[in-house]
Amino acid sequence: MLTKKDLEKLAELARLDLKKGEEDKLLKNLGSVLDYFEELKNLDTEKIEPLTGATESSNVFREDSEEQSLEKGRTIEAFPENSGGYLKVPPVFE
Amino acid sequence: MDLNNLTIKSFHEALKNGGIKSLDVVKSFFDRIKKEDGKINSFLSLLEEKAFAQAEKVDLDVAAGKEIGILAGVPLAIKDNILIEGTRATAASRILENYVSAYDASVIKKLKKAGAVFLGKTNMDEFAMGASTENSAFGVTHNPFDLERVAGGSSGGSAASVAAGFALGALGSDTGGSIRQPAAFCGVVGIKPTYGRVSRFGLMAMASSLDQIGSFAKTAEDAELIFDAIRGADPLDSTSVEENYFPEKDFKKIKELRIGLPKEYFIEGLDDEVRNGMDEAVAKLKSLGFKFKEISLPHTKYAISTYYIVVPAEVSANLARFDGIRYSSPFRLKDNGQANLKDIYFKSRGEGFGAEVRRRILLGTFVLSAGYYDAYYAKAQKVRRLIQDDFKNAFKEVDVIMTPVTPTVAFKIGEKADDLLAMYLSDIFTATLNLAGLPGISMPVKKYELGGKELPVGFQLIGRHFREADIFGVGKVYEKE
Repeated sequence: MLTKKDLEKLAELARLDLKKGEEDKLLKNLGSVLDYFEELKNLDTEKIEPLTGATESSNVFREDSEEQSLEKGRTIEAFPENSGGYLKVPPVFE
Repeated sequence: MDLNNLTIKSFHEALKNGGIKSLDVVKSFFDRIKKEDGKINSFLSLLEEKAFAQAEKVDLDVAAGKEIGILAGVPLAIKDNILIEGTRATAASRILENYVSAYDASVIKKLKKAGAVFLGKTNMDEFAMGASTENSAFGVTHNPFDLERVAGGSSGGSAASVAAGFALGALGSDTGGSIRQPAAFCGVVGIKPTYGRVSRFGLMAMASSLDQIGSFAKTAEDAELIFDAIRGADPLDSTSVEENYFPEKDFKKIKELRIGLPKEYFIEGLDDEVRNGMDEAVAKLKSLGFKFKEISLPHTKYAISTYYIVVPAEVSANLARFDGIRYSSPFRLKDNGQANLKDIYFKSRGEGFGAEVRRRILLGTFVLSAGYYDAYYAKAQKVRRLIQDDFKNAFKEVDVIMTPVTPTVAFKIGEKADDLLAMYLSDIFTATLNLAGLPGISMPVKKYELGGKELPVGFQLIGRHFREADIFGVGKVYEKE
């Protein structure tokens, strides 16, 4: 069972402000889904190898060569707040 | 001009013969979108100026007698989680409301090279999470066949735009059915290619071990033309692979493909309309000479649990990049002078993400957290292997597997809004393919008339890895004979 305290901890880990009054609905929603997952417990998977991707490709390598990349200005413009070619963030150390 | 019956194929022929001009067709589509999309809401943004310029360029090439490709001048709609340089890409989320992409997705680069025209960006469930486009931050997409019903999701806008005659084809993304389910609800063709077949570079990642880009069109033939243009390995997506694609042209050979019907997909709870549609499609294929066989995919019933553990886990990791500092944010520093870094994270994500995205991030954070990882994520990956093995075994007996796409026809807007599990369970016939990495196509049982009484029903054809030629082949035989 997921408790309100668990939920608050998860929201803290996920860096997510919960909305007022949202918790009860979330607990109900997530609870019903987690209950449903219980069906997997009955399945014996002791000797089964996990499948980590849809196709099992191995490491893919390419030459470490120089290439034209995006112009710096273009990507910085895409940030919500920037100034003189730099990103704007509040002080990190208080 | 009869936009409803215009296909990519017929457009191309007419364009080459000088019978039509790309610019005229593009203008007609925009006129129609402006007149009719107010009630459907399939587009989030229109790209008129760029579209006119590209169409004119193609017309000039034709006039100059230059050789043009099959997609040159073809008006397409693009799902809003696929990036086009210099264009807004919101993924239907508040957190990206003002985000403008600095580069093209690899599929867009390829389509640009092919000369295609992009009409606009289409509506979707926020970050592709949903099965009804009700999770869009910018309003639901209505089904062109019945405005009170959903168009499906998450690529609801792409499917609806093709069904409503606003575009000749569209791109969508499919993580658990997000192309095939809306295609079925809207009576159009939708293909999810094999995992690795199409580069996802420039697609906003949702669940990276499942996501795949694919196409919508009115016919399998058209959907294949778009698929053929976007497929191929890309150094920018290391999961993409180079595999040849040889479409089978000989219908006699296609008819030798053996088709399997998995008994686990014809369950109670299947709508009568869907069951009847399946019967009709199977009967037609039998009459065309296809041989059928009942098969079993015994772990099907575990697919939804598996899928809804794997997806939120990957979502919680992928969406960590939306921190309010990069991309875009509803939360502004200048309005919140005293804010610290943590405030930006919590407020941007708290205000920027909608309810379903928040749920999945929390659920994913939970299943990956210490003490629960083995019980959920590790377990799901093992069951995923069993689901893939089911398909491997089935493909020893048959070449193509045929199933319903969805248990129901398009449902009413709001009908499943409060029942999360019911919404999740509607992915049961489509999510299995993504878990196994297989290609699947959703074909309409017949040609449905807009304004008619019937709601579209689709059927799904599943092929072996990288055997899109088989499922397109059966689809083409089905729609042509």
